[in-house]
Amino acid sequence: MSAATLPATLRWTSFEDEGFSYPERRAEGTGAVLEPEPAAASGAERKRVLEDLLRARRLQADEPPLRGEDRRQRPLATGIAELDAILSGGFPRGELSEIHGPASSGRTGVLLALLAHTTRTGALAALVDPLDRLDPASAAAAGVDLARLLWLRGARHRGCAGRPSGASGSGEEPQAKTLADATAAVATLAGSGLFDVVALDLAGADHERRRLPSTTWLRLQRFVEDTTTALMLVADGHVACSPGGRTLALEPAGLRFSGPPGPACLLTALTARARGGRHGLRTAELALAAV
Amino acid sequence: MFGGLHAPRALPDAGALLAVARSFTPRVEARAPTPVLLDLSGLGRLWPTPQELGRALLDAAAARAIEAQVALAFTRETALVVARACPGLTVVAAGGEAVALAPLPLALLELQAEQQELFARWGLRTIGDLARLPPAALAARLGPEGPRLVHRARGEDAGAFVTAAPLPERFETTLELDWPVEGRDPLAFLLSRVLEPLTTTLAARGAKAAALAVELGLTDATTHARTLRPAAPSGDARTWRTLVLLDLEAHPPRDAIARITLRAEPTPARAAQFSLFDPAQPSSEKLAETLARLHAWTASGRCGSPQLLDTHRPGAFAVQSFAPGPLPRGTPTPALPAARVALRAYRPARLAHVLTKAGVPTFVSAPGLRGAVATAAGPWRVSGDWWDEAFSREEWDVALRQPGAAAAGNGAFRLFLDRMRGEWFVEGELD
Repeated sequence: MSAATLPATLRWTSFEDEGFSYPERRAEGTGAVLEPEPAAASGAERKRVLEDLLRARRLQADEPPLRGEDRRQRPLATGIAELDAILSGGFPRGELSEIHGPASSGRTGVLLALLAHTTRTGALAALVDPLDRLDPASAAAAGVDLARLLWLRGARHRGCAGRPSGASGSGEEPQAKTLADATAAVATLAGSGLFDVVALDLAGADHERRRLPSTTWLRLQRFVEDTTTALMLVADGHVACSPGGRTLALEPAGLRFSGPPGPACLLTALTARARGGRHGLRTAELALAAV
Repeated sequence: MFGGLHAPRALPDAGALLAVARSFTPRVEARAPTPVLLDLSGLGRLWPTPQELGRALLDAAAARAIEAQVALAFTRETALVVARACPGLTVVAAGGEAVALAPLPLALLELQAEQQELFARWGLRTIGDLARLPPAALAARLGPEGPRLVHRARGEDAGAFVTAAPLPERFETTLELDWPVEGRDPLAFLLSRVLEPLTTTLAARGAKAAALAVELGLTDATTHARTLRPAAPSGDARTWRTLVLLDLEAHPPRDAIARITLRAEPTPARAAQFSLFDPAQPSSEKLAETLARLHAWTASGRCGSPQLLDTHRPGAFAVQSFAPGPLPRGTPTPALPAARVALRAYRPARLAHVLTKAGVPTFVSAPGLRGAVATAAGPWRVSGDWWDEAFSREEWDVALRQPGAAAAGNGAFRLFLDRMRGEWFVEGELD
């Protein structure tokens, strides 16, 4: 129905229709008549402009998400530019991803960077640590908000005679029950929907990890499907990764020291080569500062 | 108008008279178990005459097996004194306070011992005798207390009416079972029956339950008692039912259940005003339920938030209850430091055998690792807590050349020499 066919009581009228006219706008100084301003934007246009302003102000990549916003499209960034680039922005939510590599390849540093980036926005993170390896001082130095990190520590077991994680042969092996309890705890945390990141640190538990049923990871993946939780595995070698998840493989590239061996020598950085992306085809060089 | 309620005989329960008074009005003043003073303002709508109101007070006290004396007057002092003195019901008309008090013994004014002795020496026996004394003259002898006593004797009030604190309300419910119950499903149904009215009562009082005491009377005549205290109060019956069931799964009763008693510890419910621009906060009920499901970890104290302690002792931390609060308003998102090397700590630290040359480690052998030191950075000496349990150590960051590994695969570890004990330890690996 066009405006002409509307009843007179419903037709829009403008000031001009009523016989009024806008005063001419003249430029200061020259007094030249300025072009009239464009007609007021429609309601839809105004709404789009407001939403753009709102998005620009609050919906930046590193800003906390708004209440009710669908966060599943926002991957969890590590905060390390080189890694986020090869991970297409970060680890995806609702998927099972992994970080693996041998000893001193930077796995723990990358995990703590991810936890720091997550907790600083007010989100919650959980770390299931069956071998009780987390150093709270390192976590705090990495910027993790410790009050927003739920830490589940494995019980101590006697007769520890293992090897460092990543070494050939068995590492310091937790009991099978400990890993089974840990995976059950991961399922509980992942299913709660309260945490943006749920990480399971399996580094150093290679031997016992292989004894877990192969369907364990598939079941854990099901818990986080269609949620905003990213499930992370940290291990010595490849464990599992969901089709939509990301694998970050780290390989040590050496240590940097401040000078020749001596009293003033400092460990300055730990370098590693990272392979990431859905098919592990992207590579990057990583350097974690030690001082 | 005011009412005085007095029990001349000993009361079985110190708060019984106060409870009788509170059943009529919340404005009650009680300096002792008896007498109790009531502000009767507004009660004229229910009891048109003072006699009917006084009779109702006597009946209420009698229903609780209390032999009471009631006095109604237009001043507080008169109501209290007459209630103490006269049995049954006494109504004092307006303006007749001094006349009503005059013949009564002076002891009813509850004077101090020296004042009673002084008035006895002066020959004062009744309240009327004291009321006839000139206030100014009494002030010269007793100070400011003198005129106050004269005004009291004349039935005049001094000071304001002070309402007594409200009696604490008990949120408790008990269910006696017709037959003993075993198993989760029937217990879940019964808990719902008991928790729903309890949480409804709490909600009606604007409160939530900060803790819930569960007492299960068992068939072997014992009691299985548990107290649940989640991180955040909850007024949701379903959440409490889940927490109770999870707790009973972890700590099952020894026998079948014959009686269920639940007692809630109330706390004011605080409404949270969320903002469109603040991050969404986790549901406290959901968080409590999740932590309850992890009872195997929480019970052993191995679940919570790490907290650094205010000390220079390396590796000092505590694990506190996980209770993340909301971010303060206006908190800017902090800038993160650059990605750092982290320590994967060995707990306990591994005793190591270290060969040194000129004080620098050259070879390390410890459970799980062995190799020559390719590069060593250090030492850093750390010591402290000399006033308590002193520590002193020398720390090294070493790259170990492990057999079979390429140069780039040298693992990095942190060693320390405990200078108090003269022993080397591997604190952890740098990763």
